[in-house]
Amino acid sequence: MLSYPSHMVLSILPGRTVSLRAEQLLVELVYSLMDSEFVAEDRQKTNASLAAEHRDVRLSLQGDSDAYTRLIKQHQSHVSRMLWRFSRDRLVHEELVQDVFVEAYLSLNSYREKAPFGHWLSRIATRVGYRYWKQLARRGETESFSLAEWDELPGKSPDQMDPGRAADLLHRLLGQLRPRDRLILTLRYLEGCDVAETARRTGWTKSMVKIQSMRARKRLEKLFAQAGKGLRE
Amino acid sequence: MKNESLFEALSARARSEPPPSVDVAGRVIAILNAEQNRVERMTEKPLLWLAAASSAFAVPAVIVAIMVYNASTGPLYEISQAIAWVVQ
Repeated sequence: MLSYPSHMVLSILPGRTVSLRAEQLLVELVYSLMDSEFVAEDRQKTNASLAAEHRDVRLSLQGDSDAYTRLIKQHQSHVSRMLWRFSRDRLVHEELVQDVFVEAYLSLNSYREKAPFGHWLSRIATRVGYRYWKQLARRGETESFSLAEWDELPGKSPDQMDPGRAADLLHRLLGQLRPRDRLILTLRYLEGCDVAETARRTGWTKSMVKIQSMRARKRLEKLFAQAGKGLRE
Repeated sequence: MKNESLFEALSARARSEPPPSVDVAGRVIAILNAEQNRVERMTEKPLLWLAAASSAFAVPAVIVAIMVYNASTGPLYEISQAIAWVVQ
């Protein structure tokens, strides 16, 4: 239960001889009513934006390029954020974002409007990014990474580290793994997805996600151990 | 395990990195328009469709011709063999 400072409680009912407990209950009631109004308002806004999004999808299907432009502009930062985990080369990253929207348009017929458009796009973005990693692996292109870099990390808390540097380091570290392991670790750790969200994005089952996640973590540990740097306790 | 906790802490830190801003709307629409034009050009080529239709008719016609030829040469061959025997 929430507790409010006494000055707040008393200021609402000044000069009344009501017990403090009763005042607190009254205040909580007032706040919960206000909250429910805000929630209802938020829900209305969300429903309105979803309806507008679905209308734009339908217009896009009829060939309205302005509607699709609106959808792109609305979701490109979200897609860009996801694909920044797949490539840190700005040109490649931009191309991948572009591919996501081209691919989404070509399969727009399969969008069923059951979930928000952004959720559907995130699945396509994951697929596009994963395909890119598989192409890199087939060509044998891996980014250079030395485990010495990992060991040279400052002894101080990683919270002090520049986020860009942390992301770059992890990107190159995970680049040493197979695409499947890299994908699962990227989604679970870097993106902070839970099992259900990872399953939704990859199209795998939840149990598959759990198994893959466990295997990928083991391979990562093996990578540290192989270099003789593991288990630095 | 220190490696794992370090990995998790760095991941949490990396999550706050802002991605580069992109604006791909113009290029995506241009690509889709080009694709649409390519498809339209394909439908506008009458000779291409004529060739495709001819092929579609020619293939079964050849198959039927071979079957008919095989079916008809069998009895003829038998008759010619019988005539040759009578003549001898």
